[in-house]
Amino acid sequence: MLDSLLLGAGQIFSLTTLTFMLLGSIAGIVAAAIPGFTVTMAIILTLPLTFSMPPLQGIAVMLSVYVGGYTGGLISAALLGIPGTPSSVATTFDAFPMARAGQPGRARSLVIWAAFFGTVSSTVVLIVAAPPLAIIAVKLGPWEYFSLIVFALTIIASLVAKSLLRGLMAGAIGLAISTVGPDPMMGRPRFDFGVEMLAPGLPFLVVLIGIFAISQLVSEVEDARAVRSGTSLATKDIDFQTWAVMREILMRPVNLVRSSIVGVLIGALPGAGGSIANLLAYDQAKRASKTPEKFGTGIADGVVASEAGNSATAGGGLIPMIALGIPGSAVDAILMASLMVHGVSVGPRLILDHADLVYGMFVAMIVSSLMMLVVCLASMRLFLRVTEIPKWVIVPVVIVCCVVGSFALNNRVTDLYLLGFIGVAGYALRALDYPLAPLVLGVILGPIAETNLRRALMTDADWTVFLTRPVSLLLLVAAVLSIGWAIWKHRKSTLRKEAGV
Amino acid sequence: MTPGVTPGEGGDTPGGLPGIEVMEAGEVARLLSYVAILAGSAYLFFDARALPTSRGDVLGAGAFPQLVFATLALLAAAALAASLRKVSRQALRGFGAATVQWLRHRYLVVCVLGLFGLYLAVLPILGFSLATFGFLLVTQLLLLPRSAKAIAAAVVIALLFSFGLNALFDTVFNVFLPRGGI
Repeated sequence: MLDSLLLGAGQIFSLTTLTFMLLGSIAGIVAAAIPGFTVTMAIILTLPLTFSMPPLQGIAVMLSVYVGGYTGGLISAALLGIPGTPSSVATTFDAFPMARAGQPGRARSLVIWAAFFGTVSSTVVLIVAAPPLAIIAVKLGPWEYFSLIVFALTIIASLVAKSLLRGLMAGAIGLAISTVGPDPMMGRPRFDFGVEMLAPGLPFLVVLIGIFAISQLVSEVEDARAVRSGTSLATKDIDFQTWAVMREILMRPVNLVRSSIVGVLIGALPGAGGSIANLLAYDQAKRASKTPEKFGTGIADGVVASEAGNSATAGGGLIPMIALGIPGSAVDAILMASLMVHGVSVGPRLILDHADLVYGMFVAMIVSSLMMLVVCLASMRLFLRVTEIPKWVIVPVVIVCCVVGSFALNNRVTDLYLLGFIGVAGYALRALDYPLAPLVLGVILGPIAETNLRRALMTDADWTVFLTRPVSLLLLVAAVLSIGWAIWKHRKSTLRKEAGV
Repeated sequence: MTPGVTPGEGGDTPGGLPGIEVMEAGEVARLLSYVAILAGSAYLFFDARALPTSRGDVLGAGAFPQLVFATLALLAAAALAASLRKVSRQALRGFGAATVQWLRHRYLVVCVLGLFGLYLAVLPILGFSLATFGFLLVTQLLLLPRSAKAIAAAVVIALLFSFGLNALFDTVFNVFLPRGGI
């Protein structure tokens, strides 16, 4: 372990890697600082730039964007009440009232420090938990793997969806998209209908860019008056109280640790992610507080809980990816794709076959957290300028970046046509209130589910093996319970709405 | 992330349609999406049955897609049944008008998507630099507030992110963007 750690650290602490990581950290923070732009988009746009780098350098840069991006969303969340990313929704609950009450600098500093402690604590958990999990994971057969994917899919629907049925449908649409093109076992063509564009299948990064980025970008111009008003987003003359706030954070160790644990656990569940962790951590802090009525009025506990919970998912999300080869979120899926592009096979054997790479990633996480802290503290005023860029510039320019990113992946113009179609479909689904995250995770998890299902039945044609192997059974029971819980919660909330509560 | 807004939802009632009708128009739009998904998944379910199997591969290439499309069809049918209970005949009649108003209210989205489609169509012909320059310039001109300063900035940005970006990818990253046929 120590050898691998030192080997990985040696590669990370080179001037080139550190420089690229610093740029990545800045890019992540800047991208996520723009309202409506997500970490996912930032990391998608970074991916093509890492193709020519060595594997660890490439993934380290992506991680710096990842960590920076998780923190960047707080800029608009704290100052404007607009969550820069879905994962900073709860940050608006208390940070924004605090900023409006004349303490915008304190609010910003609070979230930065909470994010730093959240990320570092989740990385420590990652270092401790990922290797033993990986050892267990290699003993899992295709039955367990398939059941795990089924469980992951149920979590997506139960946690992300506003409407349970539409959440499940979005996941199924994602799975359906993954069946287009050559089948993953025998390479037989499926559902291409003789169209050249569909023959190689739908590359999931093109699907990701189309679904998330294009649909989000065009939705930014829905309000014509707002787009053409050119309003400024920055606030001037802010006192940041950086060091006083650090002490303030450290005086809340229970809240910090509890929120970080929530973030790590939620992040480790495939499909959950930061968008839920920040809300759950906030909810837990409120329940545990002696003054829950003050939550939502601009208190430090609320800010610390949401941002520590959100940032801790960064490390938590890497646990299933490193230990099991299952992406915890769309962002983790892109990190996984980055490794695949570099020829690194991601799965339970990753930590055994590429220990230096994995430990290098751990070091990169810590370094990224420090970089994020330094960059945020040193340039808080400067980053406000990004939010001044009007939408009439940002929207078309980022669309062009999406085109470049999609093309650079395979050098295929047909991928760009796919991007166009998927972007329009993504916007339509968004407008019809279908959640998009389950769809993307369906696209990612589909081929893994199919491969393992078919492999399991090729090994033993008996379907009951899925129920006789304990871990597989446990996961399937968990999947049923997860669906049952989601239905129960959904019914409860519907009944409440009907009763007018 | 901007929450999804269905036709007429989100408080805008273009054309002065009563709020309840406008909300129902959104439900009608979703109902139509369930019908489309149900029809599509049913068709693809039967299409997947024609996919061959091979020796040793118990399931074959068509089984997983069949499972997925059957699930999707069931979910769409359930959603359709639930949606039918919510939608009134009046909402069905007013759906066309509500959709037109919804689209009219979002004319910039329609324009940007149209320009994006055109950009993708001409990209292989004109090449990345020219097509991107045109797309960026026209889209910015469509969106920007009318002022000489903004127009000048739009021209500079268009040049930078078309010819500049192409040069960057060509020389630094060795990624060759489409060069065009002219």
